[in-house]
Amino acid sequence: MDTMETLNGIFREVFDDPSIILKRETTADDIDEWDSLSHINLVIAVETKFNIRFALGELQTLKNVGEMVDLIEKKIRK
Amino acid sequence: MLFNSYEFLFFFLPITLVGYFFLNRQRLTVASNSWLLFASLFFYGWWNIVYLPLILGSILFNYTIGSLIADTDALKKQVVSKKGIFVFGIVVNVLFLGYFKYMDFFIGNVNALVRTNLPLLHIVLPLGISFFTITQIAFLVDAYEGLVEERKLLNYALFVTFFPHLLAGPILHHKEMMPQFDRTRNKVLNYKNLSLGFFLFFVGLFKKIILADQFSVWAKAGFDTATTLNLLEAWVASLAYTFQLYFDFSGYSDMAIGVGLMFNIRLPINFNSPYKAVNIIDFWKRWHITLSNFITTYLYTPIVRSFRRITFAKSMVAIFIAMFISGLWHGAGWTFIIWGSLHGAALVVNHNWKKLKIRMPTVLAWFITFNFVNMAFVFFRAKNWHDAMKVFRGMFGLSGVTLPRSYAKLPFLADLHVKFSKEWLEAVKGDAHVDTVLWTTLVSFAIILTAWNSNQLTSRFKPCWKSFAFIVIVAFWALFNMSKVSEFLYFQF
Repeated sequence: MDTMETLNGIFREVFDDPSIILKRETTADDIDEWDSLSHINLVIAVETKFNIRFALGELQTLKNVGEMVDLIEKKIRK
Repeated sequence: MLFNSYEFLFFFLPITLVGYFFLNRQRLTVASNSWLLFASLFFYGWWNIVYLPLILGSILFNYTIGSLIADTDALKKQVVSKKGIFVFGIVVNVLFLGYFKYMDFFIGNVNALVRTNLPLLHIVLPLGISFFTITQIAFLVDAYEGLVEERKLLNYALFVTFFPHLLAGPILHHKEMMPQFDRTRNKVLNYKNLSLGFFLFFVGLFKKIILADQFSVWAKAGFDTATTLNLLEAWVASLAYTFQLYFDFSGYSDMAIGVGLMFNIRLPINFNSPYKAVNIIDFWKRWHITLSNFITTYLYTPIVRSFRRITFAKSMVAIFIAMFISGLWHGAGWTFIIWGSLHGAALVVNHNWKKLKIRMPTVLAWFITFNFVNMAFVFFRAKNWHDAMKVFRGMFGLSGVTLPRSYAKLPFLADLHVKFSKEWLEAVKGDAHVDTVLWTTLVSFAIILTAWNSNQLTSRFKPCWKSFAFIVIVAFWALFNMSKVSEFLYFQF
């Protein structure tokens, strides 16, 4: 399964909304439930699933799916 | 130096701009950046040269610590661990801020608590210390987590001191700032940016001089001078402060972003019509945005992560703690702590409400949010508990209701113990006419709720005659009223 698909699953679970379909362009503004609080829950869910860890300074750039995918893939490769 | 002063506008800003782009034209990049750094330090030192070594010391200290942490290879041979140096760096920053900002508050509380009589140190808060300390704490955290790539001392010093943001933000992140000082494209005078910069600057100057400084008089009369406030006086006083703070701080931010643009440096936006917010979560996405981002990233997240299993209840605790600390960051006083805690509690209520998935009519949601924000600001403004209670007693009608004489014809009002007098706004209006107070407040409220904000104006800006005429009017209106120099509210934080 590619990163995007896995991520889509995590989004549906965290935001409790099975209708979410992610695109690279999706941002925090497109999903109602995606606020600063659920953002952290999302980040932690992503960290657990992919077994990676984000730095605090990276969190603000993660509010956009495309950059999130890129960063996850970069961290997995390491 | 203040943005709203003649020496800034007619002396400092033009000389700095001309010097900067002249040196760039000669392809002397290092010299031009050094010039900008020198200008920024001059800008800071203008206020009080005694504090110049303080900011320089802070920069050198954090730069050294940051480089030590980032240089992991060099550290392998060291006796001290990377973590040790990092913790040391953070502790020194916290103590540094703690000494200048909280020492007297601490001593005062100790005196009150154990009835001692320790003398206060009467430490003067160095300008911008809260801001340049937290941006550098973020830098250390990022260095520790391996995010710091750009490591030139000149760019680092410029990132911390760059004069548009130095004193009161927007709170910057080194990752978005430091590369901008090296980009070749930014080195050429850009007329579009220059005109947009002046446009934003004058919009901000107008907000500050015409609106904020006017409201400040009424807020001061109500909060500081009056001994008791009737119902309407109390509402005018509290609204005057709420509007003052917005126009003051968002005006300052507009000016900062505008000045940044003149140098082709983009600073992040800080406000997005906060009083249009329909809930508290929304409010914090619109008010002092760069601080909200800082708090969520560097305060809330580490707290949440420190819990082993994250539950909803635990994240609520983390939100409350983060807002409590944010209150304390704003000022060393219990009123600020109360303000922060109120917002923390409101965010918790808001998140719980969200879980219920009940929709509230938008107007009602806005009404509750705005009133909460307005009342919480009473604590933010009041010098002490006593003054805050004075305003609240008035707002809830406990200090009586006085209306203009013309209302005396309505008999049911007299039955409600309403008084009628010509002096129904006496305690807040200062030298102004009653009508001026009312109309300025109402018109400002309408502007706040309906007009385009600076970001919307910016995105629609075109360098044309219409914009030019608009700038000229706004600028002259502001400039001719710039006789008295008043500080920005956020300089005290």
